[in-house]
Amino acid sequence: MSTTVNALPPGAETVSIGGFNLFAGPFWRLAPDGEIRRFAFVVAEKHMNGSGNLHGGVLMTFSDVAMSQTARAANGARPCNTVSLNCDFIGPGRLGDVVEARVRVTRQTRTMIFLSADIVVGERVLGVATGLWKLA
Amino acid sequence: MTPVPPPGFTSTHLIDPFELHVGPIFEQGVKGARRFAFIVDARHINMRGILHGGMLMTFADAALGQAAWDACDHARCVTLTMQSQFIAPAKVGDLVEVAPVLTRRTRSLMFLRGDFTVVGEPIYTVSSVWKLLGLD
Repeated sequence: MSTTVNALPPGAETVSIGGFNLFAGPFWRLAPDGEIRRFAFVVAEKHMNGSGNLHGGVLMTFSDVAMSQTARAANGARPCNTVSLNCDFIGPGRLGDVVEARVRVTRQTRTMIFLSADIVVGERVLGVATGLWKLA
Repeated sequence: MTPVPPPGFTSTHLIDPFELHVGPIFEQGVKGARRFAFIVDARHINMRGILHGGMLMTFADAALGQAAWDACDHARCVTLTMQSQFIAPAKVGDLVEVAPVLTRRTRSLMFLRGDFTVVGEPIYTVSSVWKLLGLD
């Protein structure tokens, strides 16, 4: 039985064109909330671990995609590379969850971008990620 | 199109749906001193044709998770935090290898790290903390 809990908000646009981004996704861009850039995906069977929770690799992949998209948007679409990514796993994600990344640019210099992301399902926090991106 | 294990490696028995999705993963050596590897293929790359950071982080979670499992005799454990540094790119056909190191095990925590290489050259490094469930 489908419920609205499993639905992406209207207006979601895919950011998964191909490669691992699509193979692990699909991931979606949502409308921004002020300075916060928002992304989402729906937890499917393939995203799970053996305990029936969202696999940590998916959470980190989603964080990387959301923060990389934000880094690119913040620097006028120049290519950039992930230099470091730190992720704390705070709570489990479950099948059917609509997981949202809320990404902030902490600081931008000429060549580096510092980002942070809260990974949430509604009020429930799944993870917090921070990372460093270098303009190519 | 299942990749064949490289010489000296066998396939790791995986149970997590997401690891089965991105795998196979290969291993050599004995419990507590296993070395893990995967071969980069077209599923794992980004739009610039190089290995996606999400796949590296997923492989790290899988390989260090296997090592954590060795260290706690298959007790239930979860990733609490993982720090990743991306040192150099990898490409399709590369064999990415890691020999996870158990830095310390306490009653309820395990500290693991890993240096990931392609033909001996470092491409990625990780440190992580794991929690044994049911122990305070």
